[in-house]
Amino acid sequence: MATEIKLPRLGQGMESGTIVRWLKSEGEPVEKGEPLYELDTDKVTQEVEADASGVLLRIAVEEGEVEVGRTIALIGQEGESVPDEAPAPAPEEPAKPEAKRAAPAAQTLQQTVARSDGRGGGRIKASPLARRIARERGVELSSLQGTGPEGRIVAEDVERAAAAPAPAAAVPAPPFEAEVVPLTSLRRTVARRMTEAWQAPAFQISTSADMTRALAIRARLVERGDTPKPTISDLLTKVSAAALMRHREVNALYEGDAVRLLASADIGMAVATERGLLVPVIRGCERLTIPEIAAARADLVERARSGKLQQADLEGGSFTISNLGMYGVEQFVAVLNPPQAAILAVGAVQETPVARDGAVEIRPLMTMTLTCDHRSVDGATAADFLRTLKTFLEEPGLAL
Amino acid sequence: MPELSYREAVRDALATAMRRDDEVFVMGEDIAEMGGSMGVTQGMLDEFGPERVRNTPISEMALVGAGIGAAMQGMRPVVEVMYEDFLTLACEQIVNQAAKHRYMSGGQVKVPLTVRTQGGAGWSPGAQHAQQLEAWFVHVPGLKVVFASTPADVRGLLYTSIYDDNPVVFFEHRTLYGIKEEVPDELEPIELGKARVHREGEDVTVVATGRLVHEALRAAEEAEGEGVSVEVVDPRTLQPLDEETLVASVKKTNRCVVAHEAVTRMGFGAEVAAVLQHQAFDWLDAPIERVGARFTPLPFAPVMEEWVVPHAADVLEAIRRTVGRNGH
Repeated sequence: MATEIKLPRLGQGMESGTIVRWLKSEGEPVEKGEPLYELDTDKVTQEVEADASGVLLRIAVEEGEVEVGRTIALIGQEGESVPDEAPAPAPEEPAKPEAKRAAPAAQTLQQTVARSDGRGGGRIKASPLARRIARERGVELSSLQGTGPEGRIVAEDVERAAAAPAPAAAVPAPPFEAEVVPLTSLRRTVARRMTEAWQAPAFQISTSADMTRALAIRARLVERGDTPKPTISDLLTKVSAAALMRHREVNALYEGDAVRLLASADIGMAVATERGLLVPVIRGCERLTIPEIAAARADLVERARSGKLQQADLEGGSFTISNLGMYGVEQFVAVLNPPQAAILAVGAVQETPVARDGAVEIRPLMTMTLTCDHRSVDGATAADFLRTLKTFLEEPGLAL
Repeated sequence: MPELSYREAVRDALATAMRRDDEVFVMGEDIAEMGGSMGVTQGMLDEFGPERVRNTPISEMALVGAGIGAAMQGMRPVVEVMYEDFLTLACEQIVNQAAKHRYMSGGQVKVPLTVRTQGGAGWSPGAQHAQQLEAWFVHVPGLKVVFASTPADVRGLLYTSIYDDNPVVFFEHRTLYGIKEEVPDELEPIELGKARVHREGEDVTVVATGRLVHEALRAAEEAEGEGVSVEVVDPRTLQPLDEETLVASVKKTNRCVVAHEAVTRMGFGAEVAAVLQHQAFDWLDAPIERVGARFTPLPFAPVMEEWVVPHAADVLEAIRRTVGRNGH
């Protein structure tokens, strides 16, 4: 009788996971405890070990999102016949008395825990800190040799591995040959989340703001000797927070069956790093001063670039600002950062001729494009918010 | 800044409060003419008289009970229990009465009582006069528990305890009465629930209480010579506990040793380890090490006593284990 391999619940609140790829193919022998497939959850991608030994008879779900408890594969004896149809989805339910594998709850939990560590032949010994660093820097723990007591992998081991040049880099790629770069877990997360965002019915609206006064305020803060030097982005973050507080519908999360209007402007900022895009969050921007925002921003950017951000820094934003002004980009469209209802794309401040009172004047203009999830925000609401934001940038005093 | 011994610092806190407020008085066995078995209250009878420096019969239960009654009537008594081993006799009063009245009366009754006591090994007093029982009282909701390790701390913390509206069990350590430290000219109260970082370090945090603070500082010196940078933190107040400072320190150093003279089993260090593993799990690079007395009654024989209770060498060993590599 073949054993059904079901999608495990690897953490509290985990409802589903995305199968990234199978590490065994149909017909291949499998040992219990061997890595069987790669699973992507909200936070991490990890290898999941086989529950049983035998032959991988059938892969029921090749890849993609699967709810917890569903049968994703069958492991049995070689030559054993299996039904053609994949078994019907069986949601996870409490073990019934007659169920064959009615294990005590504690045992089930233990299995889940052991499984989540993913290496053939048993559990990897690694300190919690080592695991966290490995997770953050995309280092595979199973590839490391621990130097701690009893072979435990400690933080230093992971840091050394993360700092070591990748073996592939030692041999320069010959010219004219395509280089294949395997996706890091960060890259994979970006890809998955952006694809998800692309499903949302999004729309964009744009405007530009006369930055004369905003620039003057910034210049004054710099002249005052504030460190770190406040940037236009910091000012924009502050002013956006004020605008968000007046337009709660934009400071919101779309949650499928409800829209969550948030009480505080926790603004994520898109940061380009060598490893990819990260969006750390500055919390409670409506209560922070511009120098405080500048300090928080400098800290987060620094840690993003040095790979020292923690999961908590990346979670729970209510709104996102992506600024490509420093690259000279005039205008662009950002992709939503779900479940947030909106994201603001900001271009460079540019000297632009504008018509004022029948004459042409040169003014520093900055373009802004707001992308909204139409499931929770309507066009007029978005326009209202953008108008407030423009007004605040042009007359910063009104944001007080 | 004046330099006071730990003993003088306790006396100074008591006297300062008694000069300031008539509600404050002290009570205990042999504390008046004799000045207490540790000499802490010496001279206080002369200054404050027998009304406010009161000898009591040898009954810890009656002594603490009288203190509770006075506290409920608006006084701020400080009762001295000669050895913390004898707190066992007063447990009914401390645990069932002092800790409960404010809660049970819906806040109508307050018990601003301070129970001063002392204990600790290192001078061969045997199994019944040297225990460290602070963890027993941290386990009781309704009590605050202080364990001061230096003259400046004992002065500021005792003063704050006297003026706290809740019962405080205040632990002093027998072997610390003679140590000296510079203290502020004017008594500066120290808020309960604030840890003191004695020494900053990068590699290991040692959370130590009482005598072990000094042992930990010695161990830290030695570790420094081995290239290991040690941070030494004394919570000072065991209840309420300054979790924030402890967690922040361990998040910085990624390793932790908890050290106290009380037995390790079910000790205060176990609670600290639990708090840290929960709040700093992803920052830990090694198991949290505990240092404490071996699980046995204290022996009278000096060499045996020395073997049972922890010293700087034990803290150093634990530090080495946390930064250990294969072979250690």
